[in-house]
Amino acid sequence: MWDNLSLKEVVEYANDPYPSIREWAKEKGKKVVGSTIADVPEEIVHAFGFLPVTLIGTQKPLKKAPAKLPDNACSLARSNLELVMSYEGDLFDGFVLPQVCDTTQHLSDIWRINFPDKYVESFLAPRQGDRPSAWYWVREEIKRLIASLSEWTGKTLKDEDLQESIKVFNENKALLKEIYEIKQKNPAAITNKEYFALIKLSMQVDKAELNKSIKKIKDSLDTKTKAEGYTDVIMVGITCDPPEIFDLFDEIKINIAGDTLVTGGRYLQGMVPEKGGPNEDLMSVFGPSPHVELFTQNGGPVDALTARHFRRGFFSPIHDDVLRNFEEVKALYKATNAKAVVYIHIEFCESEEYDLPDLKNMIRKEGIPMHVVDTEYQTTSLSHLRTRLQAFFESLKGGPL
Amino acid sequence: MSEKLTSRQLSKKITEEYMEEAFHAHEKGKLIGYSTAISPVELFVAHDIIPIYPENHSVANLTAKKGVELCSVVEGMGYTSHLCAYARSDFGYRKTGLTVTKGIPEPDLFLACNAQCFTLTKWFQVLSREGGAPVFVFDTPEYVMDKKAREEIVKYCVLQLKELISFLEEVTKKKFDYDRLKEVMKYSAQSSILYRKFLDMAQYKPSPISIFDALIGMAIAVYRRGTQECVDYYQTLCDEIQAKVDQGIGVLPKDKEKYRLYWENLPVWFKFSDHAKLLGSYGGVILTSLYVHAWSFEFDLDKDPLLTLAENYVSRFSNSTIEDRADMAMDLFKKYDMNGMIMFMNRSCKAVSFAVPTLKDILTKRTGIPALVFESDMGDQRFYAESQVRTRIEAYFETLDRLQASKSVA
Repeated sequence: MWDNLSLKEVVEYANDPYPSIREWAKEKGKKVVGSTIADVPEEIVHAFGFLPVTLIGTQKPLKKAPAKLPDNACSLARSNLELVMSYEGDLFDGFVLPQVCDTTQHLSDIWRINFPDKYVESFLAPRQGDRPSAWYWVREEIKRLIASLSEWTGKTLKDEDLQESIKVFNENKALLKEIYEIKQKNPAAITNKEYFALIKLSMQVDKAELNKSIKKIKDSLDTKTKAEGYTDVIMVGITCDPPEIFDLFDEIKINIAGDTLVTGGRYLQGMVPEKGGPNEDLMSVFGPSPHVELFTQNGGPVDALTARHFRRGFFSPIHDDVLRNFEEVKALYKATNAKAVVYIHIEFCESEEYDLPDLKNMIRKEGIPMHVVDTEYQTTSLSHLRTRLQAFFESLKGGPL
Repeated sequence: MSEKLTSRQLSKKITEEYMEEAFHAHEKGKLIGYSTAISPVELFVAHDIIPIYPENHSVANLTAKKGVELCSVVEGMGYTSHLCAYARSDFGYRKTGLTVTKGIPEPDLFLACNAQCFTLTKWFQVLSREGGAPVFVFDTPEYVMDKKAREEIVKYCVLQLKELISFLEEVTKKKFDYDRLKEVMKYSAQSSILYRKFLDMAQYKPSPISIFDALIGMAIAVYRRGTQECVDYYQTLCDEIQAKVDQGIGVLPKDKEKYRLYWENLPVWFKFSDHAKLLGSYGGVILTSLYVHAWSFEFDLDKDPLLTLAENYVSRFSNSTIEDRADMAMDLFKKYDMNGMIMFMNRSCKAVSFAVPTLKDILTKRTGIPALVFESDMGDQRFYAESQVRTRIEAYFETLDRLQASKSVA
């Protein structure tokens, strides 16, 4: 289904992956488990024989979700609920939903009550990340998820199955990283829209199959023709929707050379260490904690998944240190020699809204041009956005586009 | 011997002394710790850290209708109007100095417990970035229904309380005194029992208290729990309300008390007394809410103090599943014999409000009682549509009247 896709097809599938998922699941006799963002260890879901699908909203109109979540709820949360209530509910056998912010605080309850025939489990990510107890808790939550899926399926998870899933998922991220490097060096090789569609589709379909397509796509990219007239920027935020926003960048040769999106660079940071060993990065966070010791000495896949949780970058709902966000953005900006930062703000994302004024100040104080794009799922018109972005890019490029 | 103070006088005295001490904390070698209202503040009290609750200060300003003025300033600073009005008015106070009280002292440290919401954590982080005082996040994962998961959640919380103690020791350079904590817990347990007794007096017919009395009466439980004076206050309050019960004095006279109502969510602070009057004119009295019960803890003094603290704070209504929250509300419906419910969708409080539509569906189904649902904001008057709310309240009481009439015919 997804093992021989062209870039054009990748964009099409990413735009609406569900018909292909339905067909694939039927053909393979597989069950499908959905998750919302972020940080659900999808390798575990996969190792139980399910297809893990990250739900990233729908562009179809809202009909039922507003009765369950008011209009000041994050539009992604409403969009995901609508996706399942009105459009793709039959496709999913269950859901694993993370609790990361006030909007998601009771989301798994709402889903459990609204979908009584489906499996619904929560993943209670810690909202603190720099103390040994956070390590303990992530490990416990991973174990609880495994126990819950075992109870649902009647299966016992074997370490080798989990390791195999980790391998496939790591390969996917490694391939995507390689293409990102190509994109950084040669923006003409792949458009922003195509690249972020590759990541989105990776989060939604069978990676073993998609990896084959990604390999072929990678090999087919033109890395020789010198790209001219491109301006590099860094994209910051959680998600970027609708995908037509990327068109606005592509049309005027603005290349996203680095990003912190959960559906972008931060996803790629989620590679799982495949074996234990010295973990200086973890030690620097936690110090000589017995939990870190355990992993470094004889860590199995559960410890490896725990370690991965702390290796990902800043995510506004679970991380508190905006300075860290700023440092990450600044590092990306410098490493890629970018010319500006574009922040994608999802309307009604409270976590972002508390962080943003200070982040803006820090970035501007550093002399980095920054533009904030306000987005909302179910947006139908981009004309307003287009005008504002064009004005910003004009000032960046030093004249009319 | 001096004359015994009334609960109102006692509350005033306790509050004045508390704020006086807070403003001179450093002179007395004490630190100021900002805390979320639902937070294991017993550890602060036991460690001579004076807890200050920016939420309470915001309530004072919002009740005095300063919300629009303060929030508008903050929007000019780049914060959106979607954020919690407590947070926005606090940022506004810090920017302008505008307050109807004497203000609150600056913090030396922060304790953010997310059992009530995550907003407070983000709010404290903003203040921390500005002033540099450290934040400790006491992370309380949702108290899911699975028994084994609950045991693990409590373990995680106990681990964090130990980390909190280390954090406090590091900040104050002083060793934590566990014996002192046991003493503080004793006071907290006693005052919690009395506070619940006070709230439960709404069971009487006519009810001697409304939720508005409860909202005023809860203040001392929020900021002085863990002290002898808190116990004394609630003893006095209970005695006074019991005297009203003995004399048959209700918020409304017995023959006028037609509708005993449940309120979901925080109050609309700036409409506090207007709502009481309006509802009273229809024979309605709001008796209770899960919100006011959030401070009626059940500490088990036979357990390790950290364990009983963890068990209590993680299981507040705001951190419980919607199913458990419905059960908690149903207990109140039965205990207080309520026959109406007002479900407030509070734009400021996403953590509590996003569960309300689902909760309403469950409660109306289980009680057979219709609900009045209205959307507004607890502190920002710009989100309050006076005529719309009034019309809905009128229509709701007409519905209840019709239902009651049809029941009496049947």
